[in-house]
Amino acid sequence: MKRANLVSWCIAFVVALILPFLVSDYWLHSLISGLFYVLMASSWNLIAGYTGQVSFAHAAFAGIGCYTSGILAVKFGIPPFFGILTGIILAALLSLTLGALCIRMGGIYLSLTTLGFSEIVRIIIQNEYKITRGTMGLKVPFLFGNYSKITAFYIMLAAVVLVLVGIYFVLKSDLGLQFRAVQNDEIAAASVGVPVVFVRLTAFVMAGSLAALAGGLYGHYLLLITPHIPSLDTMFLVLAMTVIGGMGTMAGPVVGALFLEILSEYIRVYGEFHVLVFAIVAMIFARFFPQGIVGFMGNLIKQKT
Amino acid sequence: MVDLLLYLTNGIVMGTSYALCALGVALVVGVMRVINFAHGEFYVLAGYLSATFASALHLGIFPSIAMSILCVFFVGLVVERFLIRPTYGNEMYSLIITFILYIIVENLYLFIFGPYPQKPPNWVSGSQNLFGLFYYGNQRLVSFVTAALLISIFLVVLHKTWLGRVIRAVAIDREMASLLGVNPTRINFFSFGLGCVLAGAAGIVLTPIFPVVPTVGVGISLTAFVVVVLGGMDSFLGAVVGGLILGIVENLGVAYISSGYKHLFGFVILILVLFLKPTGLFGHRQFQ
Repeated sequence: MKRANLVSWCIAFVVALILPFLVSDYWLHSLISGLFYVLMASSWNLIAGYTGQVSFAHAAFAGIGCYTSGILAVKFGIPPFFGILTGIILAALLSLTLGALCIRMGGIYLSLTTLGFSEIVRIIIQNEYKITRGTMGLKVPFLFGNYSKITAFYIMLAAVVLVLVGIYFVLKSDLGLQFRAVQNDEIAAASVGVPVVFVRLTAFVMAGSLAALAGGLYGHYLLLITPHIPSLDTMFLVLAMTVIGGMGTMAGPVVGALFLEILSEYIRVYGEFHVLVFAIVAMIFARFFPQGIVGFMGNLIKQKT
Repeated sequence: MVDLLLYLTNGIVMGTSYALCALGVALVVGVMRVINFAHGEFYVLAGYLSATFASALHLGIFPSIAMSILCVFFVGLVVERFLIRPTYGNEMYSLIITFILYIIVENLYLFIFGPYPQKPPNWVSGSQNLFGLFYYGNQRLVSFVTAALLISIFLVVLHKTWLGRVIRAVAIDREMASLLGVNPTRINFFSFGLGCVLAGAAGIVLTPIFPVVPTVGVGISLTAFVVVVLGGMDSFLGAVVGGLILGIVENLGVAYISSGYKHLFGFVILILVLFLKPTGLFGHRQFQ
């Protein structure tokens, strides 16, 4: 990593550390949501940005994470920590099955299958209201101890830092090189001995488990989990954030998630139409600046020097 | 027994409209290799336009249908020209663009037409006694006949005319077709518009029976995708058969298993097809 990059990451981390003491309670909530979306977008970027497969099941895996751990906590009194761990394992197994089923068949099939899977998850959660309480939402306990937004913030922040560092080292390893080889040219990658299906499957399972982690943490922070987490609306937000920030870059999803989260606070006065504004912004970026904010800024800096 | 017959009738009537809508997806995927997420939104557009033209402009039923189909065609062309064309050859890019388009359009409908169900006037009223067993709405029968007729016209045009031959040529081998003097970009342009018209036609046929709300579009798209995967992505006949199968399965499932899970049956079929025969019932090749 270049020194300038490292310095800016460190500054961002320090700012994040002291931020809870500077902002109001209301903004703290937005920040925690922002961190949730940073986790979601960064892990989605791992499959979409680095191996070039569009999965629409990311929100569904987050839903599996939070509902697994929520139901375990409510019905069996299992502490959220183990619940989230179970959720991650379940999501990993499911994404392994789903991926093994459709990844060997090329991009369109993966997108359609994950879309179908995502709808299956949502329909089951809405219909099995005896267990999941359907659209009413399931009340779940806090992560641990007494409810405190500051605790939640630091736990989320720790998760974000761990995940980002983890993703960084994965991308720097041989596996990361294989990710990009598969994305750029599948046939060429296969011809030099990259196990294409295995590489794609690995990225898919990693992303699915990270989504479950994000969903589990967020659910136990919100105290109420609803079918909105595993919905296509959440999926759209994650996609929009990654696209706006910049796909295939480390900083892109982080910038995009925080940008949209802050933007949403300022356009909240327009009520439900803020999704329309997001979508239009995302479309403008996807159409005219496909490298996103980070790629665009990077180009500007390169041109100047 | 009477029940079973009623559910089968319902299934075939619904399935024909599914097939009509899915033919649009099959056309766009076949020619352009693009999955259009906003496909169902053109169904909704046609439904809203025909309702609005009929109620606000006091047009007759058929002029308003003709006008809405025309509008859908032109909106489709505009979308192709400005959003889909830059994505040629990059299927991931087109997926992302059309997914964002679906969110934009769905929220626009909410903004323009409001959240309440709207419906164009019925074409006919009354009902028929079918097989001497149960009464069935005339509108449904007329819709069924119209959809079946449109499918037949589409298939005849595709297989018997010059235009159909050109479209199929581009679908089978782009480079070869362009070597022989076909302009593939223009065929893409036209096929996308035609695909949107097929979705719109399904909307015209079904909205007198099922009023439109802004959010039905995604369900329609998903159903069409399931049908296309089931029938085989490169087969138009497959889309027709797949539509009928899905219509029948959904209606039998609703009747005998659970109505809350109506949309689940389609996705279970989708995953089973991918597992057992990824090329679909009538398909020959997979799309990379």
